[in-house]
Amino acid sequence: MEKQEWILKELQKIYDTSDDYYLVTIAKATQDIIREQQKRIEQMEGEIDGTLWSPKRWGE
Amino acid sequence: MKTLVIVSHPDILESSSQQFFLSSIKNRKDITIHHLESEYPDGNIDVKREQTLLREHDRIIFQFPFYWYSSPPLLKHWQDVVLEEGFAYGEGGNALKGKEFRLIIMIGVPEKEYQAGGSELFSINELTKPFQAMAHKTGMIYLKAMPIFQFGYMTPEEKMDHLITYWQMLTMENDDSLRNREEWLIEQLEYFIDQGLNKETSDILRFAIEIIQENRFELDNLQIVLDDIRRHS
Repeated sequence: MEKQEWILKELQKIYDTSDDYYLVTIAKATQDIIREQQKRIEQMEGEIDGTLWSPKRWGE
Repeated sequence: MKTLVIVSHPDILESSSQQFFLSSIKNRKDITIHHLESEYPDGNIDVKREQTLLREHDRIIFQFPFYWYSSPPLLKHWQDVVLEEGFAYGEGGNALKGKEFRLIIMIGVPEKEYQAGGSELFSINELTKPFQAMAHKTGMIYLKAMPIFQFGYMTPEEKMDHLITYWQMLTMENDDSLRNREEWLIEQLEYFIDQGLNKETSDILRFAIEIIQENRFELDNLQIVLDDIRRHS
C-alpha cells in the first residue's frame, strides 16, 4: 500500500504543477483508476472474509 | 481502430464546448475530425468523398449541439444524400455493416429535465430514436451515446472527467469494464510517454503503469480465490 500511496502523491504533484492540461487530465484519470482498483480489492477481500466466516460454514 | 468524428455545428469557433473537446484530439492519428459546415459551406456535399471516408473508418461518431431535439440541418442533409440506397441499405448496400456508431451531443438543459415530469418530458434515449433507427437500418452497432449537459457550468474536475470519457468514447473498445478501462488507460499513458515528456514525469507514468498492472494481478488472484470458495460453499 505504501507504493500505492506514493504514486498517488506523485500523480497529485503532476496535477498541481504541470502546465500541460492533457497531462494533468491523464494524471487525474490514473489516480481515479488506481483508487477504483484499491476499492475493488478491498471489496473482494471483504467478500472472501465474509464468505469464510459465514455461519453456513461453521459446521464444517 | 480508426474513428471518424463527423461534427456539425454552424458556428463552431464560438462554441467553447466543441473547441474544448475537438482541440484535445487534433493530433491523434487514429481519429479523423470532419466538420461538415467547414467542408461544405455552400451545403454542397461531395457524396463519394463522404462514402469513402465512412468506408475508411471503423467507428463513426456524430457530434453536434442538440437543436430542437435533433442535429443541425447540415447533418440531416448529409444523412439524406450520403446514406443512399445501394451504399448504406438495400440491394448491395452493406458498406456500413458492422461498423460502430455513437452520438456525442452537447445539451444546454440540465440532465434531470430529460425525463417524464421534467421540462423536456422525454429522455435522450427516446429523443434520439431516429439515429438509433438509422444505425439499425444500415447495420451499424449503436453504442451508448454521450450526452454532455451544460458544459459551461461544469467544475474543472468535471470537465477533465468528461474529457477522459470523451477520449474513451472515441478510442476505447466497446467494453467499459474496469479491466478494459485499465488497459485503455495504460495505452494512453504509453502514448503520453512517447510524446517526449521529461524523464521525471515519464518515470512516474511508467511506475503508475506498473502499479495498475500489479493491482490487476491481485484482482485476478482474488477472483480465483472467490470463485473457489463459492464452488465449495
